[in-house]
Amino acid sequence: MVKAYTQEHIYKHPWEIVTSASWRKFTEPENKRILSHILEVDTLNSNLDSETGKLTTTRAITVNAPGPWFIRKIIGQNICHCVESTVVDGQSRSMQLTSRNVSLRKYIEVEEKIRYDPHPENPNEWTVCQQETSIKIKPFTALASMAEKIEQRCAEKFLQNSVKGREVMERICKYLESANSSTSNSTSGISA
Amino acid sequence: MGVLKKKDPKTSPCAVLRAAYHDCFNRWYSEKFVKGKWDKEECVSEWQKYRACLSEHLEDKHLSRFLEAEAAINSSDKKDSTVFN
Repeated sequence: MVKAYTQEHIYKHPWEIVTSASWRKFTEPENKRILSHILEVDTLNSNLDSETGKLTTTRAITVNAPGPWFIRKIIGQNICHCVESTVVDGQSRSMQLTSRNVSLRKYIEVEEKIRYDPHPENPNEWTVCQQETSIKIKPFTALASMAEKIEQRCAEKFLQNSVKGREVMERICKYLESANSSTSNSTSGISA
Repeated sequence: MGVLKKKDPKTSPCAVLRAAYHDCFNRWYSEKFVKGKWDKEECVSEWQKYRACLSEHLEDKHLSRFLEAEAAINSSDKKDSTVFN
């Protein structure tokens, strides 16, 4: 009983801008209204390898418990704690995020992997985002008999949230680009 | 800073320090890191203050669980040059 799906999205913005937006998505207060399922984000760890340009970060993310309201009733929890680990390779220009829930695991396991890479056909201007999500309702719990339905509802909710997430990403990309072109004294914008 | 207001349960006691660190980090990432300027450590004092607050409020936030999970995730990863720690 696992529901898994993948999504791909092409941002018509350079990798530098898109990955900057990814960091800002959950940490800027102005996005809170749209991304209302994200309650808190704390950075637990951040390591930079100053030789190779590899940045490794772990964040704790508290979200509204996924799925329909009756699940929250059954499990008696409104919130869910997740850990997100991110690896950015500044040299090869890749960013990979893996998030999984650390609470409620006896009921549900959600894992989300996101990658941001330069678009192969237009590596300096476009960015490919690939997202893989898997949702698993644990057997032998109060939820098991309706597992399939719940997985489906969770998946729908995650898809809705990723649409909202992309809207926010686009907005941040735009203002970063405008900030960038007004501060940079050349027309080249961000250079890799 | 210093005096904590009576708690809104939704607001982390470290919210101000957290915002300062995240602002600094976000700026560093878009202005330096993506331009290949990753040799110098930045946001260190912001990080230290924020991190101190977090450790102090671990219990409140159930963050100890996060840290355990994080340790499990990263245990295979050996990190030598720790800039933000």
